[in-house]
Order: sequence, then C-alpha cells, then structure tokens
Amino acid sequence: MGGGGALIVGYLSIIVLLPIAALISHGLSIQISTHGSGWAFWHWHVSFGFRAFWTAVTAPGSRSSIWLSLWLSLNVAAINAVMGVAIAWVLVRDRFFGRGFIDSVIDLPFAFPTIVAGVVLLAIYGPSSPIHVNLFETWMGLTLALLFVTLPFSVRAVQPVLASLDLESEAAARTLGAGGLRTFLSIVMPSLWPSVLSGFGLAFARAVGEFGSISLIAGGIGRTTTASYYIFNLTAGFLWVDAAAVSTALLAISLIVLVTTNVVSRHFQKRLL
Amino acid sequence: MSISLSHLTKHYAKTRAVDDVSAEIKHGSLTAILGPSGSGKSTLLKLISGLEKPDEGTVTIDGEDMTHVDPRHRDIGFCFQHYAPFRHMNVAKNVAFGLKVRKRPKMEIDERVGDLLSLVKLEGKAKSYPSQLSGGERQRMALARALAIEPRVLLLDEPFGALDAVVRAELRQWLKELHGQLHVTTVLVTHDQQEAMEVADQLIVMRAGRVVQSGNPLALYESPATDFVHEFLGPSTIFEGEVTRPHDLELVSVHQGQMKGRITSIVSLGFEAQVTVELSDATSTWVQLSRNELSAMGLRVALLVGVRRREDVDG
Amino acid sequence: MNTTPKWALRAVVLFYLGVLIGLPVTFLVVKALGHGFGPFWSEVTQPNALSALKLSLEVAAIAVPINAVVGVGAALLIARHKFVGKRVLDTLFDVPIAISPIIIGIALVLAYSKIGWFGAPLTRYGIKVLFSPLGIILATMSVSLPYVLRSILPVLTEVGEDQEQAARTLGAGRFRIFWNVTLPSIRWAVLYGVTLTIARTLGEFGAVLVVSGNITGVTQTLPIYIFDSWDQRFDVLGSYSGALVLALISIGVLAILAALKRREKNLLVDFA
Repeated sequence: MGGGGALIVGYLSIIVLLPIAALISHGLSIQISTHGSGWAFWHWHVSFGFRAFWTAVTAPGSRSSIWLSLWLSLNVAAINAVMGVAIAWVLVRDRFFGRGFIDSVIDLPFAFPTIVAGVVLLAIYGPSSPIHVNLFETWMGLTLALLFVTLPFSVRAVQPVLASLDLESEAAARTLGAGGLRTFLSIVMPSLWPSVLSGFGLAFARAVGEFGSISLIAGGIGRTTTASYYIFNLTAGFLWVDAAAVSTALLAISLIVLVTTNVVSRHFQKRLL
Repeated sequence: MSISLSHLTKHYAKTRAVDDVSAEIKHGSLTAILGPSGSGKSTLLKLISGLEKPDEGTVTIDGEDMTHVDPRHRDIGFCFQHYAPFRHMNVAKNVAFGLKVRKRPKMEIDERVGDLLSLVKLEGKAKSYPSQLSGGERQRMALARALAIEPRVLLLDEPFGALDAVVRAELRQWLKELHGQLHVTTVLVTHDQQEAMEVADQLIVMRAGRVVQSGNPLALYESPATDFVHEFLGPSTIFEGEVTRPHDLELVSVHQGQMKGRITSIVSLGFEAQVTVELSDATSTWVQLSRNELSAMGLRVALLVGVRRREDVDG
Repeated sequence: MNTTPKWALRAVVLFYLGVLIGLPVTFLVVKALGHGFGPFWSEVTQPNALSALKLSLEVAAIAVPINAVVGVGAALLIARHKFVGKRVLDTLFDVPIAISPIIIGIALVLAYSKIGWFGAPLTRYGIKVLFSPLGIILATMSVSLPYVLRSILPVLTEVGEDQEQAARTLGAGRFRIFWNVTLPSIRWAVLYGVTLTIARTLGEFGAVLVVSGNITGVTQTLPIYIFDSWDQRFDVLGSYSGALVLALISIGVLAILAALKRREKNLLVDFA
C-alpha cells in the first residue's frame, strides 16, 4: 500500500502540485538564490517580485476583468443556491412521471463540453437568435452560460443531505401547526444550509474559472471580458509571467472562498449530525 | 481446539478497549463473552480472530502462539452482526468462497456447499442473492460460509443483534443444537444476558475492557462476584441494602415481613407479575410473583404489606 | 405539502431547466441537422474534423484508464487506511475542479515547456510539452482527475470493511480480496466515475487551448476544432456539426449514467 501511495502522490505532483507551484512561483516572480560559495548552500535567499505581481494584477484590464468575474460568479452562485434547493426538493420529495429523467438531465452540464455549450448559447441568444433575444456581449449572456455550467454543483451538494433528512421532525412541526413554508424555513433550512453553503462555494469557484462556454458569447475584449478570458489573451500574446500573476491572484481569491465555505459548512454540518 | 488469552491489551486513541485480559476457552465449548456496549467484547473477539493485533499480550490457539498470525492462516470462522454477505455473489458462491480460495476441486466444492446448505436449512436458496434473503437466512448463510473451511474455532460477533426477537430466539436454539452436533469450539459475543445464559456453557463477563468474572453461567447467576455482574446477569433489586433477585423475595402480611411498605404499582406480564413496594426506609424494591400467587393474594395499589426473603427450598 | 405550492414549484423548476438546458440542446439538434443529414455528415467526415476526433479519442484512451486506476487506488487509501496527510490527499484531488482550465494550462506550460521549470532537462531528452499531444494529455489528465475518486469514495465508505474482513478470515489474500470482494462492491460507482471522466476528457477545452497552440491537424482536439471553425473560419455548420457529435456523446454518457443510477441508488459525484 505504501508503494501505491507513493505512486499516487508522484502522479499528483506531476499533474497538479508541480504545475501549480511553478505557476505561483512565476506569478510572484519568486527567485531562490544561494549565497556563499560551493557547498555553503544554507545561505538561501528567497525573494519575490511584488512589484511585478502587483503591476500585472492591477492593470486596468486585469482589475475590471477580475471584478467582473467575482461579481458574476457571486450572482450565479447565489441564484443557483436557491434554484439548487428548489430542484433538489422536487427531485427528492416529489414524485412525478419523468423525475428520473430530470435527475439525469442535471448531470448534463457536467458531461457537456463547455465549448459546445458556448456555441449553442451563442446560437440561441446571439446576433442571429431565432427568438430574437440578443445577449451577445452582455452580462446577461455570460450569466446564462455560468448558470448552466454551475447548476449540477449546486443541486448535487444539497440533494444527498436533503434525502437523508429526518422527515419525522417536519411531520412533528406540522402537527404542531406549522405550515409548509414555515416548516421549511425553521426545520429544513437549519439542517440544510451548510450543504447549500458548500454548493455555493463550489459553484462560485467553478464560475470564476469558466472559460469555454463564455468565450464565444463574450465577443472581443471589452465590457464582457472575464478574468479567464483576460488571462487567456495574455497567453495568446505570450505574456506568461503576467498571465501567471493574474492567475495567482485569481487562485488566491477562489481558494479563500472555497476554504472558507468548506470549513464553515463542515463545522456546522458536524453539529447537526 | 482450546484458546488461551494472556494479558491482552489493546488501545484505541487514549482508551484501553481491552485491558489486561486473560482467559481460557475450553476445547469444544460454547463460550459467551457478555458485557454492555463499550466493554471491549467485540475488540476481544477481533483480537482472537487476528483482525486486530494486540498492543500487549498473547493469543494461543491449540498450544500455538497465534498473536501475530494473519487471520488467513488461523483457521477460524467469523460471523458478523450484519452478516457481511458478498452481495454480488449468490448464496452458493458465498458459501464456496473459502473453498475456492483453498483451490479445492469443483466437485468437492459443490458437494460441500450442498451439505452445508442442508445443514443450515437453506437448500432451496443456493441461487438466490443475499438481498433476497431475510436477516435470519443471511446469518445462516454466513454461518455456512464460515463452517465451509472447517475452522478450528468459530467466532460470532453479536450474530443475532440485528434480528427481531422471535427470529433471535429461534436462531439461538438452532445454534445450540448445531454446536451440539459439530462440537466446534465456539465463542459468541453478546450484550444479551438471556442469550448468553441460554446458549453458553461458559461465560466471560466483561466491563470497561476487563474481565469481571468467568465460569459456568448458572454459577455466575447464583454467586455473582460483584453487584455489576449481579445486575447484568438477571433482574435485580435492592433489599435491606443488598442487591437481591426479585424472585427471591415474597410478599406477606405486614407483621410477617422483614420490612414493611406500601404497594405503589402492580404490573402483570401474563406469566409473572412485578409488584413495586415503597418501603418504610424510603427505598423502593420490587418483588416477582407468579401468576397464581398474584391472583391468590388479591393485591392492590396502596395496600400495606410485608416483604421478606423466601425460604430456601431445602429449608 | 398541499398541492398548489407543489405544482408551482414543479412549474418553476421545469421552466428553469427547460430554458437553461432543454432549449440549448433542442436548438443544437435543429441547427446541426437543419440542412439535412447529408451536409452534417460531410462536415463531420472532413479530414480535419476526423483527425481532431481521432486525437480526442487517443487522448481519452490514455487519460481515462490512468485516472481510473489512480482514483480507485486513492479511494482505497483514503477509505481504508489512516495516515498522516490523508486530508491533504483528499483535498488535492479537488484542486482541478476549483481552478480555471486556463490556469491549469498556464501552470503546465510554466512547469514543463521550454520556458518552464523542467524545460531544460525535458528538451534535452526531446520531450516536447507545449504545442504537442503530450501537453494535451497532461492537461486532460489534470482536469479530469477527481471524477472517479469522488464517485467511488462515498460508496466505498458506506459499504464498509465487513465483507473484506470476512474474506480475510476465509483465507483470501490482498489481491483476491480487492478483485473478488472490494471491486465488485463498487463496480457501478467505478463505471459512473469512468463515464464522467470520458465525458470530461473528450470535452476539455480551455486547458488544451493554452497548451496546444491550436495547430490544425496536429494538436487540435475536437473541442478546439469546433471553436476554431467558428472563431477563425466562421464555418458555422462545421462548428454545429462537430458540436452535435460531442453533444450526442455527452447525451449517450448521460444515458449510461442514468442506467447505472438505476442499478445502484444514490450514485453521484460528491465534491462537497
């Protein structure tokens, strides 16, 4: 088992750890130099180029794109947090013909290539829209794409928890006179919200990083440039270090949100079990 | 095959699940390890099986030190509380598993599986899957599976704990008969003292990781070493400051009793009755009466009575 | 729950899903086959399209088995063993999901291409990562990493160790226990995770775009081809046709997932 473990760690290093480390290292212009001659390599000096990092991150295009990504992702995660609960509710508590079909459909954005979603969204809501709804180069268009892509995360975070909830406490509330909405708010939600939060965090992180589905409907550089698109443009211009810098900033933000929601959600989830 | 346990200790985090346990299990006996939850009995069983390794002490089976031997090579059969069926295999394949591992020839396996299924009365179910069986049937399958490898020792971890009362009683009886037939040294872990008393010819009572008392069940019942054993093995109540069996007390008229009191409740269980009496020293005790005694005495709540120990039958 | 809110909720949910998912999918079918099956087929069988499909399939053929084996191995480690850093290992698998594929692409470039950390030693051995299929494979393995693990782990934890312990007492060795007891008990979850991995692998776009340099015929996977058709050549029908092929594969994938869910209830990918 130790050998297998080592192999797995080795694999993870190659495809995740080392690349991320390289990214952050280049992004922060980290340089490690040794002082002293020959074998005296305990005189290590680590410096990081804060100025270069900061310049790249606070460039006007970068600032506006990061801000846009955060704003859109927050909205989308919030909307899908609500819709996720609604959908999970219908899937878990309701019985109707085609429920299994709907349940499978939820996984579609998981399995769907993002670029295909992008093509289709542009076709429906773009300049040659058959329903005459043109969302090309609009925030609404981006929002629709992001809602599509993050939906499964929001639903699947909540669904298993909802399914495992004790129906008896809700029945007890009803015998005590509580109506549907009140029961939902005071009995169900308190047990459910940690998982909703967890789904929110995941959806947020996913939305911040999304590229394929918005690459087409966003049009060129402009008001609708998200952080991923901005970074991609930097790479198209071979500005790797700048791209790494902005990427590192974005990573940091996503990480903070994800870790926070995860920790909070896990802490309160434990108390409820 | 006799089992000898010597100073076994096992730690989990900061607690000692098993604390310096030594015991002898006689060849061919049916021993019950009895105790409340958390007493360490399941851990002890796992130590005997080799599924857990002790931090200190030794396990000797038939004179050989097996402490560090893998369960594969100990020749033991193990049954779990939730049966641990191989869900994707049918009953016949489940039972055959151990024999396939030992690379027995197909004909031999088929014959042996057939015999075992007859033994456990599951003949018609060879092709069924565990999910299609009832709890009792699954446990019988598990037993057949364990017996297939002709183990030296059979270990059962709360085997009837997940079954309802009627099935439990049936399987208890059946296990006792099976043991009478096969004479495999069997060790059974349970928290149900009735089960232990009914089935075992040797008892080991555990509490908080230690052995409190061991020996013949009836001997333990009649001469418990501590109050805990007394209370755990059978109904108990306190009379005159001592832990006593309610059926060792009787109700008489006020001046005949060793203590006086007022009846506070009468519960009739059909075959017996439990009469609770609040005594003059402000303690409460209960007395077990037979159906006949209850109807003969015309008792009612709030009646003043006397309570005394019954005379020994031999006087 | 009385009936009015129930119907209202159902209506809201169905409308939302219809607009978000149903509409796009229907539209795609209409658009791609709108001119008839003939033009669709000729678009799909164009040499560049076919070589893009071929590359996508080849990449999948390498990335999927590796991630499946790693996923199963890691699940066994996490579910059945205690060791320092277990939490870290568990979290590491979620990293590719939480990061933009563009960023993953950049990270790979900065680690393994000419300009990256290992650029010098790799070029000395003639290993080219940027602008080559190897880079695409690495990128694809990275983004599709967690799906098998996240499908298996909940099931493995739930099934518990009893069956494995029983097999041990019956004399089975480690490999036999894994092959005859553990693996069968999680087989539907494994299939579920592998199916999702295949879908993810075939559909990956952003990371591959960064790493591959988008060289027609050489480093174009099918998603890149679709993007390229639209963006560079305004070949709308080509784009739709390629998109439909991928969409059909995704829907096929979904159908498989649905069938698996019927076999074993409560199968889903658990990232929470």
